[in-house]
Amino acid sequence: MLRITLAQMRRSAGRLTAAGVAIVIGTAFVAATLLASGVITRMTYDSIAAQYGDADLVVGASEDAPLDVDALATTDGVAAVAPVTSTYAQLTDGARSVYQSVVPTADDRLMPLEVTEGGMPAGPDEIALPTDVAERLDVAVGDTVDVGRDVVGDDGSWQQVTETPTVVGLLDDPFGAYSQTGGAAVVDASTYTTWQTEARGEPAPVTEAAVVVADGADLSATRSALAGTIGGATSTDSSPWVVTTDERAAESAAELTDGQDLMFLVFVLTFAAIALVVAGLVIANTFQVLVAQRARTLALLRCVGADKAQVGRGVLVEAGILGLIASVAGVLLGTALGQAALWVAHAMDVPVPLPDTVTLTWQVVVIPVLVGTLVTVGAAVVPARVATRVAPLAALRPAASPSTSRRAGKVRPVLSLLAAVVGFALLGGGAALGTLGQEPTLGLLAGIAGGALSFVGVAVGAVFWLPKVAAAAGRLVGASGPTARLAAANTLRNPRRTATTSTALLIGVTLVAMMSTGAASARVSLTAALDEQFPVDVMVASTSWDADGAPAAIPADLRAELVAVDGVTAAVDVQDSVVAEPGGQRRLTAVDTGDARAVLNSPQRLDGLTEGTALVGSDVAGNLDDGDSLELTGPDGVVSLAVVLSDSASSSTFVTPADLARLDADVPASEVYLALDDDVDAVDAVGAIQDVVADSGESAQVTGIASQRAMFDQVIDTMLGIVLGLLAVAVVIALIGVANTLSLSVLERRRESATLRAIGLSRAQLRGMLAVEGLLIAGVGAVLGVVLGLVYGWAGAAAALGVMGDVTLSVPWRDVVLVLLVALLAGLVASVAPARTALKASPVEALATE
Amino acid sequence: MDTTVFVPVDDATGAAAPDATPAVRARALTKTYGRGQAQVHALDGVDVDFDAGRFTAIMGPSGSGKSTLMHLLAGLDSATSGQAFLGSTDVTALGDKALTRLRRDRVGFVFQQFNLLPMFTAEQNITLPVELAGGSVDRAWFDTLVTTLGLSQRLTHRPSELSGGQQQRVAIARALIAQPEVVFADEPTGNLDSRAGVEVLSFLRRSVRELGRTVIMVTHDPTAAAYADRVVLIADGRIAGEISDPTPEAVLAGLDALRSLEAPVAGTAADGGTRAGA
Ligand SMILES: Nc1ncnc2c1ncn2[C@@H]1O[C@H](COP(=O)(O)OP(=O)(O)OP(=O)(O)O)[C@@H](O)[C@H]1O
Ligand SMILES: [Mg+2]
Repeated sequence: MLRITLAQMRRSAGRLTAAGVAIVIGTAFVAATLLASGVITRMTYDSIAAQYGDADLVVGASEDAPLDVDALATTDGVAAVAPVTSTYAQLTDGARSVYQSVVPTADDRLMPLEVTEGGMPAGPDEIALPTDVAERLDVAVGDTVDVGRDVVGDDGSWQQVTETPTVVGLLDDPFGAYSQTGGAAVVDASTYTTWQTEARGEPAPVTEAAVVVADGADLSATRSALAGTIGGATSTDSSPWVVTTDERAAESAAELTDGQDLMFLVFVLTFAAIALVVAGLVIANTFQVLVAQRARTLALLRCVGADKAQVGRGVLVEAGILGLIASVAGVLLGTALGQAALWVAHAMDVPVPLPDTVTLTWQVVVIPVLVGTLVTVGAAVVPARVATRVAPLAALRPAASPSTSRRAGKVRPVLSLLAAVVGFALLGGGAALGTLGQEPTLGLLAGIAGGALSFVGVAVGAVFWLPKVAAAAGRLVGASGPTARLAAANTLRNPRRTATTSTALLIGVTLVAMMSTGAASARVSLTAALDEQFPVDVMVASTSWDADGAPAAIPADLRAELVAVDGVTAAVDVQDSVVAEPGGQRRLTAVDTGDARAVLNSPQRLDGLTEGTALVGSDVAGNLDDGDSLELTGPDGVVSLAVVLSDSASSSTFVTPADLARLDADVPASEVYLALDDDVDAVDAVGAIQDVVADSGESAQVTGIASQRAMFDQVIDTMLGIVLGLLAVAVVIALIGVANTLSLSVLERRRESATLRAIGLSRAQLRGMLAVEGLLIAGVGAVLGVVLGLVYGWAGAAAALGVMGDVTLSVPWRDVVLVLLVALLAGLVASVAPARTALKASPVEALATE
Repeated sequence: MDTTVFVPVDDATGAAAPDATPAVRARALTKTYGRGQAQVHALDGVDVDFDAGRFTAIMGPSGSGKSTLMHLLAGLDSATSGQAFLGSTDVTALGDKALTRLRRDRVGFVFQQFNLLPMFTAEQNITLPVELAGGSVDRAWFDTLVTTLGLSQRLTHRPSELSGGQQQRVAIARALIAQPEVVFADEPTGNLDSRAGVEVLSFLRRSVRELGRTVIMVTHDPTAAAYADRVVLIADGRIAGEISDPTPEAVLAGLDALRSLEAPVAGTAADGGTRAGA
């Protein structure tokens, strides 16, 4: 039987290729994920290990009973000791400032940083900086830099002192020892100790120290000796302890990544699982077609004595062999991709220290191979069952065109319908909980459960309803001519095959559309929320105060410069003042309504503000009501204003500058609000504004809501990009499935194509027919996927973001159009190779009876 | 319907005496498969004429080149050398586009295996060639065909719901729908029982006698060949003789003569009741 299976596989090698490729991609995904997870764990470990330099042993203690470094240094076999410690200091040069981690100098062997220029600091007036920090501060070796640090006074109060050491060296962090903190500056060890002592008011306890064992000294003997010195153990279970550097690094890495690497794995493997499900559909399709095409051979086998089990087993063995070969290829591909990614990263000089090669653990090899083989065999179970049902008699019947149409039981349609209905109800409930019930967690949970359930229902039931949709689409395109009608009829010949192929694509496209829609809705909703919270793009507020503690005005020339910055479209002066009202004080904000409307992101916030009115934010409305008279008393007069309640939850009371002037004649315009052009890069523009302020020498604070929003957009974009990239694998596999289905169909329709050619189908028409078939299969999957994805995305956004206020459901048109285009184009491309096969055979050859 | 309708105007001889011009001609038509040791001369310099408005049968032993000849005449396959004419068109000189147009408009096919499209109804199968050509179906002609072939009650059935004889009649209607100059039929009764075979053969004959078509049919069955106006005998890729107004007995005798000679010298087949090919 095995011999027959192998012979059949050889004959069907071409037909199995696409299924194999699907599995190769799927398993490569899994393998690459496992490898990446390994690399991340290794990077964490390496960077932790790097902090200890070339230390052999690490000694640790608690703060209550700290280490005595001198005692450690004089222990037998110890060559060098350095405390493992770091602190922070504010490094400033002119307007530029960096909050930087600082470490003490140490023995060369215990110092992971390398000097690239100059040298290490040797006294209290010297400092070495990471190269990129020096660049950011724009200082070079020989320049000075302001170092601000906290000192605790005798009375226990904090005070910031500033020193101005000279930069004596630039540092590189080749092993990424301080990559978590963005590098580290170095000061002389005794200076460091002084800083720490001054910051605490007493000497800082040393809780961890790295030790180098002297040449010739025995490691374990030294370890025991150190344990003796500290009176502790040789494991970290109890404190104090002494362990090897490797043990310590492994332990810290495990602590640091605890849960995180698992999260990463679960996150990415979810997408790998989706890809594998799609690959499974492609495989199931392939085997279904193969079994149908081999019906005669199988029947013949039954005729000559093979029993049902043998025939079924033959299909499963074939799947097993295919799965095994493809999975091994997948692991190789995944490994190669991982290694290539590392090379590219190295070539691009990414700032994080990456290992040179990927580490092949047994998991990386065994898990994908096992999963890939199981998925393949699992996908072949149903086709194998179909194979067992081939009657021996089928061998005697004339070759009929193979068809896999088969009555599905009653259970499946009912169950899938039930799942879809209950799922969508849950989904709707989740959205309602999120928006109306203001229960985002519950809503999201219900939404996810409902979404998953309904999607399973939709996908499992696809074989019942998808062909009907395809038929409708087919009728639509069929109206355009005979070629399209032929294509439409072909698509419907094997409803199950078409359904499986479209479903594979549907899964990927639905998820892509859902993510884009969710992200777009989230972006719009969150932007609206941000607009509410931060009404303007950029605020520049004076931070210098006059003798009375009142803020100074923004100087006119600075204001002019600000307005001239690229991308600034409008500006409004803002006066702030506190005046008396009956029973307390009220903070007033005066803006010119015309200017302000040009600057505010939602100008309607100022509706109702005119001379003689006060626009009162709901947070400070107290028991004021619309139309109430608000009597305010300032140094220059008493003014009565009519209250207009604002619907925004703000704590400002807006008045016109004229009204404020009657209360207080000289309130400085201490703030300027700026509006940015929508098209400019907000981060750049805010940077430029900050530069203008810094260069002016005025002390003013720039708050760039616009850059915050841009950053926030960027976070969404990045997340979306990653998710879409991961989902793309599933979509690619599904598109391979479309090509696979087409080429399998073309192979079994050889005679038919030849007949059509003989009765006058032109080459172009044959190509067109297959192209339309490809478009139909891909288009139906893609269009339905987009629709489903929109529904899921909206429901998800409603459930999750409902608490933030009105959820704006937006359609990510660009993404939707892109997905549809890609799918249709792929459907078109998928028809190219099959068309070539179909055209290669001359009509006569194909008409010859087999 | 007269076949002259389909003779192109550039046909010099066609205008003079349409019925005298053969609908199909082969001149030194040769088809060689393989090369070297494995070389097979499927057709070896065939010269033959098929008259318009006549029903001709081609007979000969298995492997003698009958199907090959039909395929070359119909432009389904390319000749190694020689020429095949449909009317005045040299089929062997046409490119794929022109051949496709020729197959659409000027020739019809009936296959031994029926080769109907399983997803279409009988009616859709019949009208397909016209639709592929982008034309509109001549309803009167369609009705004539359907009535003549006795398919009126079967038009909405799919091939799987039709008997073999009915399927072959649908195939014949499909071959005739575009009113082609010539219908080629390769063993059209090969897969049918004798009753269904008789049905198909009488329809082919009626389409010649009553509808004015030209039919060329390959068959192994002397009784089937007797339905034709003329039988062309072929052996070893050469024309081995012909029988006019054949009876089953005459055809059997001709075939026997072919077999007994087993062609040591092809020319000798000219004697004994048969006349050397045109
Ligand atoms: N594609 C091919 N490659 C090689 N040889 C071929 C090919 N097609 C036909 N032949 C050979 O050409 C010769 C004529 O074949 P053809 O099919 O025309 O015979 P036939 O008269 O139709 O036979 P039958 O009555 O069995 O159908 C045969 O010897 C056959 O083996
Ligand atoms: Mg033949």
